[in-house]
Amino acid sequence: MLVFLARRLAYMALTMLVLSLIVFLVLEFSPGSIATKVLGPYSSEEQRAIWLEENGYNEPLFVRYFDWLGGFVTGDLGESIKYKVPVNDILWDRLANTGILGLATFLVMIPLSLTLGVLAGMKEGSFQDRSISVVGIVFTSVPEFASAVLLSTIFVFGLGLLPGTSGMTDGFNFVELILPVMVLVLYDFGYVARMTRASMAEVMTTHYIRTAVLKGLPYRVVIMKHALRNALIAPFTVIMLQINWLLSGVIVVEFFFAYKGFGALLLEASLAQDIYVIEACAMVAVFVAVSTQTLADIGYTYLNPRIRFS
Amino acid sequence: MADVAADIPKREPLILRILKSFVLLRESGVAMIGAGIIVFWVLMALFAPLVAPFPPNATLAPMLPPFSPFDGPEGGTFWLGTDHIGRDILSRIIYGSQTVLIYAPIATVCAYAVGILMGVVAGYKGGWWDDILSFVANLILSFPVLVLYVIIIATVGASGINILIAITFASAPGIMRIVRGLVLDLRTRDYVAAAQTRGESSMWIMLVEILPNARGPLIVDACLRLGYVTITIGVLGFLGLGLPPPNPDWGGMINETRTMAQVFPWMSVFPCLAISSLVLGLNLLADGLREISIKD
Amino acid sequence: MARNGKAKVHPYVPEIYEQFKKGEVDRREFLRTATLLGVSATAAYAMVGQVTGESFAPKARAATPKMGGNMRCSMRVQEMTDPATFDWTQKSNQARQIIEYLTVTGTDNVTRPYLAEKWEASDDLKTWTLHLRKGVKWNNGDDFGADDVVHNFERWLDPATGSSNIGLFSGMVENVDTGKKDKDGNAVMSKRMISGAVEKVDEHTVRLNLRSPELAVPENLYNYPTAIVHRKFDEMGGDLSKNPIGTGPFEQVEYRVGEKYVVKKRPGYWGGDVYLDGITYIDHGDDYSALLNALISGQVDMVYEVDITQIDIVEKVPHLVLHEAVTAQTGVARMQMDQKPFDDIRVRQAVQACIDHQKLLDIAYRGRGAVGEDHHVAPIHPEYFALPKMKPDYDKAKKLLADAGHGGGLKLKIDLGSADKWHADAMQVMREQLAPAGIELELNIMPGSSYWEVWDKTPFGFTSWTHRPLGVMVLNLAYRAGVPWNESHYSNPEFESALNDASATLDVAERKKKMEKVQSILQTDAIMVQPLWRAVFSATSKKVAGYATHPTQYHDFRKVGFSA
Repeated sequence: MLVFLARRLAYMALTMLVLSLIVFLVLEFSPGSIATKVLGPYSSEEQRAIWLEENGYNEPLFVRYFDWLGGFVTGDLGESIKYKVPVNDILWDRLANTGILGLATFLVMIPLSLTLGVLAGMKEGSFQDRSISVVGIVFTSVPEFASAVLLSTIFVFGLGLLPGTSGMTDGFNFVELILPVMVLVLYDFGYVARMTRASMAEVMTTHYIRTAVLKGLPYRVVIMKHALRNALIAPFTVIMLQINWLLSGVIVVEFFFAYKGFGALLLEASLAQDIYVIEACAMVAVFVAVSTQTLADIGYTYLNPRIRFS
Repeated sequence: MADVAADIPKREPLILRILKSFVLLRESGVAMIGAGIIVFWVLMALFAPLVAPFPPNATLAPMLPPFSPFDGPEGGTFWLGTDHIGRDILSRIIYGSQTVLIYAPIATVCAYAVGILMGVVAGYKGGWWDDILSFVANLILSFPVLVLYVIIIATVGASGINILIAITFASAPGIMRIVRGLVLDLRTRDYVAAAQTRGESSMWIMLVEILPNARGPLIVDACLRLGYVTITIGVLGFLGLGLPPPNPDWGGMINETRTMAQVFPWMSVFPCLAISSLVLGLNLLADGLREISIKD
Repeated sequence: MARNGKAKVHPYVPEIYEQFKKGEVDRREFLRTATLLGVSATAAYAMVGQVTGESFAPKARAATPKMGGNMRCSMRVQEMTDPATFDWTQKSNQARQIIEYLTVTGTDNVTRPYLAEKWEASDDLKTWTLHLRKGVKWNNGDDFGADDVVHNFERWLDPATGSSNIGLFSGMVENVDTGKKDKDGNAVMSKRMISGAVEKVDEHTVRLNLRSPELAVPENLYNYPTAIVHRKFDEMGGDLSKNPIGTGPFEQVEYRVGEKYVVKKRPGYWGGDVYLDGITYIDHGDDYSALLNALISGQVDMVYEVDITQIDIVEKVPHLVLHEAVTAQTGVARMQMDQKPFDDIRVRQAVQACIDHQKLLDIAYRGRGAVGEDHHVAPIHPEYFALPKMKPDYDKAKKLLADAGHGGGLKLKIDLGSADKWHADAMQVMREQLAPAGIELELNIMPGSSYWEVWDKTPFGFTSWTHRPLGVMVLNLAYRAGVPWNESHYSNPEFESALNDASATLDVAERKKKMEKVQSILQTDAIMVQPLWRAVFSATSKKVAGYATHPTQYHDFRKVGFSA
């Protein structure tokens, strides 16, 4: 187990190293000088030259990359070009906000989609199964931006029931979470439900469930005690991977509802080619991707004792 | 699922196979509905100049405010109303299907070409080929997909080609993973061993013996992915990074008019419905196909 | 008039007053010029009143706000390190609440005293004396005085600061050889302040000595990067957000870049009653619909800007008010006259001949604004001369194209940024208007920041230009041969001499006549299609009193509050 974790850690470090270099190179060779971005289109050549010199941009690329890398290792993520403050000052709050949004989404989505998935998978091919599957597919087919526009038109403008943006300006406000969570859940629950359904359906056809039913155990007991535990292994993995999906899935929602999260920050940084913010976000993304994958693997083993780390 | 590919089907004439697959589709009502929706949009795209009542970019109704679907000048000239600069929304949606049905499939095909190549090489060759390709794939996959699109497009600019490149780049690793898994499974099969003993080159084995037998799961994945690419193109349009106007593109139409959704809902609602219906068609088809393949 | 009675009145004031009486100069131009020359706004309005019989003061505000309340405004919250280098109005709006300007130009285009109590110009308009207000204190207890102002001029005009003010006060700057050579062996030139350009006369008087006459000095002192910071600003770290020392009516309470900016009313403010207890700027991103949704659901009391596409929504929500300001903000589809195919004037004229400007305005900007006339002088500019209306003429366009050898059709590609949606709308309508003449226009829409990389390089591009109080200001900046912002590479000696002639004429009626030539040369040379002059909009809740949209979207909230 320790060896497994150490290997994953080393893998994560390597991924971060390579990815950060790629991001650096891509942004370096992208059209447009950073000085123009910082000083604005109306700045003079002279101002730009002074700025580039003062900020060390006349150093070779690799010198700057290793400067950044050295800072990153010691916890200094550099300074945002757009905001002119250290990346550390903005990144973590934003990440925490996205964490809150993600948590709220999961709290609604997981019970909903697992219940629907299990209900559908219990009796494969039944009317109940068919309708749940089709509803799931229909909602998954409506892009987030479409449902965001529609829902806000209905609930903010039409009915005046919900706040139009979710900036949480005066601290945490539960009501402001409703619309973003609704959009995310509508888009994603169908997928998780279908995964659960497939897994449940498979388990229901196994011998021991059939045997249990034949033995005359109450149907409910069979489902709750035997089928569920096995059926939930696959969805568990799917859910862990949804955390990774959420990191980019929130971009549209955060943008539309002005939620001060990680996705909005990353979108803005990418548009402004704010290099150190992008680098920091990329590293966070790698961390989340590798650690959720690792957790998924460990959880899979825990839930399914037949698999052991070799 | 891999069992689909277990028996080697005998080659039949193409037309017969297409007909057969339609017959197969009839087994699943869901797949039939999905295929129906897709065929509808393909027909719209093919015959757009005949079907669309107006040219898509013409500013037909310069009089303000714009027409809703119900109050055209002669009582419903514009079935779905006009947009903020007086263009006929129905015509734009019909022509917009061309854009979607050109870009999404091409992008998907490109992604598959790259992904399959990577996957077959990694799975069949193994060793350090596998290590390197898998690392590259994981590298790309560990980065949020949408962010990848945004960085690429924001860096190189929004154009049709760049969107194709971005989608290929971001989707290929996922396809590669699937193909690699299938190939790892298939290459232990007898017919591959037979080919190897016949002394066929590994390229031949990869392309002719292994690939066709992996197609079942890939077709299902392709349908889902096509839907996803359609959404992605829409999202890019929504974020202002989509295909450059004026050629109508559904995501762009929504982006252009969504700030007015409260008072002129028809401008963004109909393109939303168009995108959703196409994606729904693809998802239903994928679901149906999976069902059929499991039944077999 | 009493306050100005003792001060020396500039000799041009009686002259323009005569012209105004005779009707040669309109009311707006008289008010603007008289106030710039040091006549107080009250006195100037009184002089107008004597002629027209209207009331002395500008129109009284509809309702006096009550004391108290916190105003929440949706606007980007950006970095605000150094006010002299601000490049976004939003940044200056944040800072405007805590630091102040020497003058203030109101929504009526009239410049009034602010930190400068009054000012005088020499007869030749080269020497300006600014009398600073006494009894103004910085919020760290220091007295405000001439040292502060001198220090600000010195830092604006130091190239190392990187302030665009150096261009604004070009009469106080000289070019010097740095002694270095660039790659091609040319001397690297730098700018520096002419020594003695700023003089401290006494603790509350500052004199500016200019090389060349300049009328707009008081107006320039309200341009957004000219807010006055403390004389020790640089010693205190040169970062306003960390050391928010100001003379303004509010004090910084909380500053979270990209999220919110909070200020509260400051005790002991010199400027009389301030109604609001505080202001909170909330950042809702770049998405207009988020801003408006916040306003509709009562999360904020006003929004910085409402997009043209949203005005119908604002008008439909009963608790909101739409504020519209006519501006000289515009966009120009300019063609570089030294690039193919635009090096042939017939091609440019053919493009121009296809354009129905009225229709462009109606469709692309819902008719809210003024028709563009392809010479970049707005009807609201005081020196604007009304040329005959332009009409589309496809026969002429086709003939010009055929003569230029493009009879078989012409393909053009225009670059534009995606930041302002109306740009794309205007260009799409233009594309439709060009089509009948056989010109096929391709729109290359790129992210806003990418467009600013190419704005002065692309052969055909659509560039936005902000509001400036005088038409000649833009012409000087953008259409003289070799100036940095000459994006069209325009070069026409005849135009420049006409422009020199007009710029040097102080007499408003005379200048207007001279502008006819300037405008028509630019129009005939057809280096741009200028679709429209746009109005700008913002919206507030009905409870907000005393607010009006400023043409440059500045937020002066000293007399804004909530209605009783």
